Amino acid sequence: MNLSYPTLKTPLLMIELFTLLFFLSATSLFAAAPPPPNLPQGEIMRLGERMYREGVLPSGAPMPAFIRGDVEVDSTAFSCSSCHLRAGLGSFEGGVITPPTTGNKLYKPYIRPPSLGVIADRDGRDVYAKTVLERPPYNRETLATALRFGTDPTGHSFNDVMPRYPLADNDMSILINYLELLSKEPSPGASKDEFRFATIITDDVSQEDRQALLRPLQQFIAQKNQQLGMYNDFIKFGYTPTAEMKYAFRRASLDIWELKGPPTTWQKQLAAYNNNKPVFAVLGGISNSDWRPIHDFCEAERLPCLFPITDFPVISETGWYTYYFNKGFAQEGEAVARYLNRMENLSADTPIIQIVQDSPAGRALAAGFDKNWNEVGRPAVTTITLTASQLVDPAALAKILTKHKPGVLLFWTEAGLLQNLPALIARLPATEMVFVSSSYLGRQTANIAENIRNKVFITFPYRLNPYVGTKTGGFDAKIPILTGAKDFGDRRIASRTTAMLQQATLQGLNMIYDNLYRDHLFDVMSMQMDLVMRDYERFSFGPGQRYVSKGCYIIQLGPGENPTLLPRSEWVVQ
Amino acid sequence: MRVTLKTIVLFLLLALVSATLSANSAHAANKSYKRTVEKYTIPDIVLVNQDGKKVRLQSLFTGDTPVIVDFIYGTCTTICPVLSAGFVNLQGKLAVTGQKVRLVSITIDPENDTPKIMKEYLKRYRAKPGWDFLTGSRTDIDSVMRAFNAYIPDKMSHYPLNMIRNPKDGSWVRLFGIMSSREFLEEYQSVVGK
Ligand code: HEC
Repeated sequence: MNLSYPTLKTPLLMIELFTLLFFLSATSLFAAAPPPPNLPQGEIMRLGERMYREGVLPSGAPMPAFIRGDVEVDSTAFSCSSCHLRAGLGSFEGGVITPPTTGNKLYKPYIRPPSLGVIADRDGRDVYAKTVLERPPYNRETLATALRFGTDPTGHSFNDVMPRYPLADNDMSILINYLELLSKEPSPGASKDEFRFATIITDDVSQEDRQALLRPLQQFIAQKNQQLGMYNDFIKFGYTPTAEMKYAFRRASLDIWELKGPPTTWQKQLAAYNNNKPVFAVLGGISNSDWRPIHDFCEAERLPCLFPITDFPVISETGWYTYYFNKGFAQEGEAVARYLNRMENLSADTPIIQIVQDSPAGRALAAGFDKNWNEVGRPAVTTITLTASQLVDPAALAKILTKHKPGVLLFWTEAGLLQNLPALIARLPATEMVFVSSSYLGRQTANIAENIRNKVFITFPYRLNPYVGTKTGGFDAKIPILTGAKDFGDRRIASRTTAMLQQATLQGLNMIYDNLYRDHLFDVMSMQMDLVMRDYERFSFGPGQRYVSKGCYIIQLGPGENPTLLPRSEWVVQ
Repeated sequence: MRVTLKTIVLFLLLALVSATLSANSAHAANKSYKRTVEKYTIPDIVLVNQDGKKVRLQSLFTGDTPVIVDFIYGTCTTICPVLSAGFVNLQGKLAVTGQKVRLVSITIDPENDTPKIMKEYLKRYRAKPGWDFLTGSRTDIDSVMRAFNAYIPDKMSHYPLNMIRNPKDGSWVRLFGIMSSREFLEEYQSVVGK
């Protein structure tokens, strides 16, 4: 801290001075443990959670913090949970190991995993976050000291990543109480020897799609149980398992939660299943309807739902408990907005018209476009909603085109439209561009008339580069899989479910060890490295990121009956 | 026979599991940060800033204002907060002395970091004008990382790095590690020649 500034007028300096005084008084007065706050437990959890997750003090003021002695930070920018993660079990990123910070762990002796060790000093890399490797248990008093002054019970200083928090006694005691309660009891549906899972299927799903989902799921469960058998043999023969092995093998079971009738009744049905036999997580699932009731149920129950097959996920920046493959139809609408936004030669006054089939898919595509178009600061476009029968009436469509004279036309419709498309396009100016969704058109996408293919741009949310990885994440031969016109309309239920299980989910389940907390499963999964997938160019993770495939190509079709897919955009357009 | 096969498969499996699970366990002497002076060739690419505007990267690295570059991403834990806190503090300190600096954060998560996310990030850190956050295509981002000898194949394995461009000769002071705000300010002053 530097007090030789000429004036103390700026608030920054005032805070520094205040903090110095605080530290001085704290060091001299500091002896007693903070008294437990005189508040009901629910209130402590609420206030403590806000400190831990949002960096806001019970008073509503931001929590002050310091890094490296003098780098002052405002904890609303980043909080305990930014580093120790939501479940409080810590993280490993950027060569820094952030240790657990739950009462369960802090009040026991602990051997901290060393931070990234000696990387050969190449390219300017070096060790920068060394850790003290062992410590005795904390108590409330030494824990308060740790948070205020950055030292463990033996007086060793933490490395520079962990901030120092000059908290008043009452605030400190709320935070410590919160840490004591954080991830205290294991989540339902998991135990030392078992994981219970369910999958969700709604009654609008065909038998064929249902089987496509269930086959890989049941295989996964069988495989887990078989591995457990092998592991038990291994122990029987007198081998000693490593620490990681001890937690990688558990019995697993899968229930099928069938949802019947109107979506308004689903939550009740889900609650009945879950109360009867709670599960640790929902693995996959499938519905042709809006996923929202299930999404909301999982949020409310804090129940992980991993990668359901749905074209109608909930688009939310704060949703926590459902991992989606992508944003479904909305992502295709968004891709068009991004693409048009980046077009050099599209003048700002080109009229853009959205013709939307009055259906959930049409509306989701349009909403995805509108949201993104608005986000990039563009004015709203004209949207016209039509019924399926209006869409196949050439006269009705012609009237709309004459009236609006669009330069860009977005057709968020089913394939019925395709037969009239050449006639419609003939009426439009030569510079006209038409956008359609391959997911909505389905198989018929390949049948777009040849003479208009140069005008028609198609959203395609799947991989185009030949896939040369393994199909299942196992030891398969590496035969490149090529995407082509034959793949239009394929929902890839089995391959997507297999990949999410074998790549993303298994990794997460193995890495939680004996920390059987649902929040921890998300923490661990969100810290995964990017994955190359069979159906998508890439899955990418990160705390709070819940739509793991971020891409969607804009393509055009080559000539012929089995046209080549010609990318006109990158996988992700920024 | 059956057992042997099983055991082999199991060993394979376990080898795989432990390979993915175990972190590097060596560790070395404490050192705060490491400083070198480098020359970099900046690729001629166009990135997108937090306002959604296209920015030609080379155009940021000209003129007589020192430029500081770091690599972060919107949802990152652990080091980005620390790096970004360093940026805000430096902005604050230089505002007091009336000195100029241009701060440039480049995302290493270009697929997720949209202008909107980057804008919110800067707001969260109370960044003042003069601190830009850039995204772009993965190919372009990879080429920037390579140009600064900072290529990482995956964002989860990044490390704390600041680079200060000296406007006098275009050289870069490369600072690896976490600095106190006094050290950071000193490094800045050494570049501007004070
Ligand atoms: C910028 C990242 C970051 C933030 C924010 C952060 N920590 Fe830490 N914390 C760390 C790191 C890294 C360590 C390990 C330091 C070491 O090993 O030397 C640590 C260590 C600790 C420890 C000591 C654990 C032990 O076993 O000795 C506790 C307790 C702790 N943090 C609690 C908190 C709390 C509570 C908050 C919020 C008020 C918080 N931390 C905010 C990164 C962070």
